Amino acid sequence: MKRYDLIIVGAGPSGLSAAVEAAKRGLKTVVFDENEKPGGQLFKQIHKFFGSKEHKAKIRGFVIGEQLLKEADEAGVEVVLNATVIGLYQDKEVVVRIGEAVHHYKGDAVIIATGASENMVTFEGWTLPGVIGAGAAQTMMNLHGVKPGNKVLMLGSGNVGLVVSFQLLQCGCEVVALVDAAPKVGGYGVHAAKVARTGVPFYLSHTIVKAEGEECVTGVTIAEVDSHFRFIPGTEKHFDVDTICLAVGLSPMSQLLKMAGCEMEDNPKRGGQVPVCDEYGRTSLAGVFVAGDVSGIEEASSAMIEGRMAGIAAAEYLGYMDKEEMDRNLADLDQALDGLRQGMFAPKNRGKDIETTDEGIPVSKNLLKHGFVADEEIERFPGVTHAKGIHPVMECTQNIPCNPCQDACPKHCIRIGSNITALPAVEEGSECVGCGMCVASCSGQAIFLVDETYEEGYASITIPYEFLPLPVVGEKGDALGRDGSRVCEAQIIGVKSIPAFDKTNLLTMKVPAEYAMRARFYKKG
Amino acid sequence: MENRIAEHPILGVPEKGRKVTFTYNDRQVEGYEGEPIAAALKAAGLMVHRYTKKEHKPRGIFCAIGRCTDCVMVVDGKPNIRTCVTPLKEGMKVQTQYGVSGKPFEEQ
Repeated sequence: MKRYDLIIVGAGPSGLSAAVEAAKRGLKTVVFDENEKPGGQLFKQIHKFFGSKEHKAKIRGFVIGEQLLKEADEAGVEVVLNATVIGLYQDKEVVVRIGEAVHHYKGDAVIIATGASENMVTFEGWTLPGVIGAGAAQTMMNLHGVKPGNKVLMLGSGNVGLVVSFQLLQCGCEVVALVDAAPKVGGYGVHAAKVARTGVPFYLSHTIVKAEGEECVTGVTIAEVDSHFRFIPGTEKHFDVDTICLAVGLSPMSQLLKMAGCEMEDNPKRGGQVPVCDEYGRTSLAGVFVAGDVSGIEEASSAMIEGRMAGIAAAEYLGYMDKEEMDRNLADLDQALDGLRQGMFAPKNRGKDIETTDEGIPVSKNLLKHGFVADEEIERFPGVTHAKGIHPVMECTQNIPCNPCQDACPKHCIRIGSNITALPAVEEGSECVGCGMCVASCSGQAIFLVDETYEEGYASITIPYEFLPLPVVGEKGDALGRDGSRVCEAQIIGVKSIPAFDKTNLLTMKVPAEYAMRARFYKKG
Repeated sequence: MENRIAEHPILGVPEKGRKVTFTYNDRQVEGYEGEPIAAALKAAGLMVHRYTKKEHKPRGIFCAIGRCTDCVMVVDGKPNIRTCVTPLKEGMKVQTQYGVSGKPFEEQ
C-alpha cells in the first residue's frame, strides 16, 4: 500500500487549491480525479467572476482554472487522472480504480473535495433524448464546441440557469423561455437582466407539464403553478423546441464521507446531505477534511478559499506548522471568505424574502418576477443618475459581493466603499472620460455609458456586447429595452474591443434622446 | 456539421484534433479525434444513443460527464460504453444499443 501525507479526492477548484497550500508546506500530496482533465467545472465557466480583487473578480472562470493548474504544477502537486476513488475506509485507506485495476493508498490526512452533482426533476417525457442537464449544455458548448440544441427551453432561474441561458445565446442557440416553478428569480438580478434584455421571456411560477416527441424532444408544454406547486388548468403554453435544459440545483456528492463514518446532517441551506464540519473543513473524523461544494453548495470562488483553508488545516494536523502559524495563514482567507458570504444571496439569507436593499431602497419586484428592472423602478437606485455629457449608469440593484467597477474607473467616478455588497453610486463632482473600463469590468454586464446630449435630439448609449457577429459602425438596427422588446431605431456609432476589456466588446449606439434611459441592447435590423 | 460552433465570442475558434471518420450503425460520420464520441454524434444531429431493455424507450445525452450512463452505446463491439467520456478514434464502430446488445430487439 502506497502512503502519502495527504490524499485529496477531486481536482476541481477546492481540491487543487488545497493541494497547492499543502504541497507548498512540504506535505507529500496526491490528488485523484475521475476525469480525463483536471479543473472540475471551472473550464466550463466563461463568464467573469464576481467578488473583489482577492477573489479574482472580473477574471473569467476558465482563466482562473488555467492559473490554478499552473500554481499546482509549480507547487509540485501530483495529480492522477482517470482515477475514481471508490472507497474511504478506517485509518484513511483510500481505494482507487485506475483503468481496470483497483489500488489501495494510505493517507495520513484526507481532504474530500468531490463537489456536487446536478439535481433532476421528472415530468412526462423527461427521459427523451434532448432533455439535458445544464452542466451537459456547458460541457458540449464550452468544452467541445458543439451547440447543445437550436431551440432551447431552460428550467431553473438560479445562477446556473441564468448563466447557462446566456452562454446558450452566446453560442448561437435560441432560448425560447426561462421557466421556474418558484415565484421569484433565484439567481443574481444582473444575470437575469442580461438574458431578459436579449428578448428571452421569463415564466416564474411555471413548470414543465411534459416534453413532447417520440424519438427525441420536438416540443414542450409548460403551465402556471399555484402556491402549492399544483398546475393551474388553462394556463398551458406550448413551445417548439429541440432541447430542454434542466438547472434545478446541485447536491453535495458526500457519499465517501458517509461511507467513512463521518457524522452527517441533512441541511437544506447547504444543499442536502453534508458532513458536520467546522469552518476549516475538519469533520468528525480526525484527519478527514472537506472543502468546496461537498460541504455545502456555494460558488467556485468560495470553494477555492475553502480548499486553501483545508490544505492549511491539514498541514497543521500533520505537524507541518504550529497553531500560531496556521492562525496567521488563515486570517486573510477568513476575511476573503467572509466577504463573499455577505449580501442578499449569502448562505445565511437563503429562503428569506428581502424587501429592501441595505441602503433602504425597495428591491425591484419586476426583476424578481420578469428578470428585468422596470423603467419606472430603475431611477431609484444610486447608480442611475443624470448628468451633462457622458456618464456611467450602473443598473446594479441588489446587494451582491462585487466591486471591480470601483477600481476600474481611472477617474474614481464609482463608489462602493469598503463594504463590497453596497450598491455602486456615482461619485459627485467626478468627471467621466468615457473610457468604458467600468462597462467591461462589470461581471454582471450592468453598467452602461450614457450621453443624453450626444447630438441635437439624440443620445448615445454604450453597452457591453459578447456576441457574434459583431456589429459594424454605421449599421442600423433596433434598440431593445430592458425587457428585450424594441423601443426605437438605433445606429451603431462605435465598436471598441481592446485586450483590457477581455472579450467584452463595447458597442455605442445612437438613439433618439427620449430613449436614453430605456434602450439597453442592440439587435441588427 | 451544422451544430458545430465555428467561432465563439469568448472562446474563439474551438481547438480540435484531426478530423476522422467513424461508423454510426451503417453510416459513415465525421468527427474530431479525441473529442467524446457523444460530441461527434451531437454535432452530426444524431440524438438517440440507445433503447431501454424493458420498454424500448430512446435515450440520449443527459449529464455529459460520465455520471448518468444514459448515453451508453456499443463501441467496437463492447456494450455499455459511456460515449460522453470516451474519446473518439479513427474507424471506431459505434452502434445503437438495444438493451445491452448492438442487435435490434426483433433480431435478439
